[in-house]
Amino acid sequence: MAAGAAPRPARRGGRREGGSNGPRREAAPGLVSVMESVEAVARTLLSFGRLSRGLPFGRAHGLSSRDPLLPLAPRSQENADPQRTAFLLRKQWTLYSVTPLYRFSNAHLRDYARLLSAFIAAEKQKGLAVEVGVELDIKVAVSSLPYLKGSDQDQAAILVQLSSRSPASPKNSEEKLIWSGWFCCVSGDNLSKNVPEDFTCLPLFLVNGAECYTSIVGSWFQKTFDCSFRRLAISPLILSWMAAMWTGCKVDKTASAMELVFSVPCLPQPLDISYAIHPEDAKALWDTVQKTPGEIIQEEVDVFMDCLYSHFHRHFRIHLSATKLVKVSTAIASAHCDGIIKFLQSQYLTGVLMLLTELAISQIE
Amino acid sequence: MDETVAEYIRRTVLKIPRDEIKTMLEKWGLLSETQLQTINFRQIKESISQDVVQLCEENSVDIKQAAVLDIIYNHVYPNKRVWCVYQMKKTGEEAEFFDLTDFKKKFKGRLRSALKNVTINFREYEDNAIWIRIAWGTPYTKPNQYKPSYVVYHSQTPYVFISASVLKSNLPLLCQALVLASNYHDIREMELRSHSLNSLKDIVFKRYSQNFQTHYPRPLQERNVAPKSADLRIIQENRNEKERIERVNREVFGDGPQPKLEFAQYKLETMFKSDPQMDVLDKKEPFRCLVKFSSPHLLESLKSLAPAGMADAPISPLLTCIPQKARNYFKIREKKHFFPESFVSP
Repeated sequence: MAAGAAPRPARRGGRREGGSNGPRREAAPGLVSVMESVEAVARTLLSFGRLSRGLPFGRAHGLSSRDPLLPLAPRSQENADPQRTAFLLRKQWTLYSVTPLYRFSNAHLRDYARLLSAFIAAEKQKGLAVEVGVELDIKVAVSSLPYLKGSDQDQAAILVQLSSRSPASPKNSEEKLIWSGWFCCVSGDNLSKNVPEDFTCLPLFLVNGAECYTSIVGSWFQKTFDCSFRRLAISPLILSWMAAMWTGCKVDKTASAMELVFSVPCLPQPLDISYAIHPEDAKALWDTVQKTPGEIIQEEVDVFMDCLYSHFHRHFRIHLSATKLVKVSTAIASAHCDGIIKFLQSQYLTGVLMLLTELAISQIE
Repeated sequence: MDETVAEYIRRTVLKIPRDEIKTMLEKWGLLSETQLQTINFRQIKESISQDVVQLCEENSVDIKQAAVLDIIYNHVYPNKRVWCVYQMKKTGEEAEFFDLTDFKKKFKGRLRSALKNVTINFREYEDNAIWIRIAWGTPYTKPNQYKPSYVVYHSQTPYVFISASVLKSNLPLLCQALVLASNYHDIREMELRSHSLNSLKDIVFKRYSQNFQTHYPRPLQERNVAPKSADLRIIQENRNEKERIERVNREVFGDGPQPKLEFAQYKLETMFKSDPQMDVLDKKEPFRCLVKFSSPHLLESLKSLAPAGMADAPISPLLTCIPQKARNYFKIREKKHFFPESFVSP
């Protein structure tokens, strides 16, 4: 992210004249005109910190100063079968940014699985793995998730799974999944554009499972594809964006509360504050704050958060703005500042991934 | 000795920190001095517990005796459980003489008439605290010793502290038995919960130092205890404001140590109000929120907020009233009055 740059409030009104208006962003992919692109660039320069809200999320083009041209709704959104993405939901994923992989090929996934398996076995021999006293037979599976991408230029997501079978149990017994990690890129064209031929861009890595396996798998990828992993932290600024954006999303079923968690660590006795708002009331507030159709601007996020802070202050006389926002939870997803995410709705999965891809790319650049 | 009793004793001993095992076994008194001397308390806990079980076998310890060890453990480590406070009500003011035997008889009688399978233990401690341990069964199953309920009743007061087990369905029966046995006529749950049993007692028995409203400002000289900086070039810019904050903070929280609570919860059903110029939400219905504060020592933490600049001084009475109101669960609604800024909590 354009680190350190303070968001400048956007100009309201006036922007729309002399160009296309309103929900132009819902235009069919590929029909973006030259005029629009110039305007788009101009608007980006004018207003830092604007996220477009299309169907359902747009390009987070305010977060970096890159050209926000491309169409919003990832085309595969419609194809993402909820069944196939169900295994990604309601699990805690730790986030990493990954630099482009050198000479990675989709055609060799089975070979990679084999090599990684051998690597893990070797590490175990060295005594570097894993659980003390547990003799586990670890199997590696590497597969492609072609439906998890934003645009055609994106690489298909790659899923790595470690399962185990205790040697005590019979040969054909069920294997237990003990670790999952997947690389993905949703609308990450701005990165892949600028990268030489031999590199594969999968800037976002999500992990669920024990840290010891994460470091082994990570080491293998680093050695094999000359890439590097870095934990992806989520700043309070981005968390408040997520709170605002996700609150506005329509949810079919009864939504869970919109919860903000604040931490005040530097007191003699640390304090945590959980502030949960009924989802209908939070959405009603956001709907009155969010005035520009198809766009979200920094000013609106600020007003939304200020409203919540002042409502809190009215009751408790505590300035939430002086505390640290560490976690945001909505019906769509929940995010923690340490770079931990939970997807709760398959409908919005790619939308959230798009935002996370953007954050990962910003961290790499 | 029954296998289940052996297993129960083994698991109970394993809970105890190794250095405390000998003391607790001595308090328990089921093993003789000579027997205790045969145990090597320097071994790993697994081995110690097995030795203890072996000796209990020799003494044919039964489940009721084994349960006493559990009470002793919980009495020393009450903070591992969450305690809720209940208050009993009497009609009339007769100060009746408390008869412990009668209490126990009535309590056991009420529970046993409803449930055939219960294990009930009593143990009296100093300051009139009666500890009751109840393991619940059903008409068809033996009591589950691993999920007992604990009751601490101070007989000279109307307060009962209950650490309910997971089996909440037995709570009404438990309350009935308490009311009957203690000759009260009603019992209600207070909105007060914590891990720290002693702090709960401090709050309801008013054993903490309460804040008193001062009607006169204290003279400044009295509190000028802060060491002045030796370097005269360093001055405190907002000294007056800092001192005002400290003074006001002490007035609302009191001077002494705060009772130890871990959380406070507020269910807000008040209206959302904003600057009309902001043109935001203007609903006629409440803005529903749930706010939870948590900290290893909540009240001390809240007390430090204003001096740290994170809260106004005085901080909201919704927070400072916790010890006086003896509650940490609140439902806040708008007060239908001239002053919309004030809140009622039922």
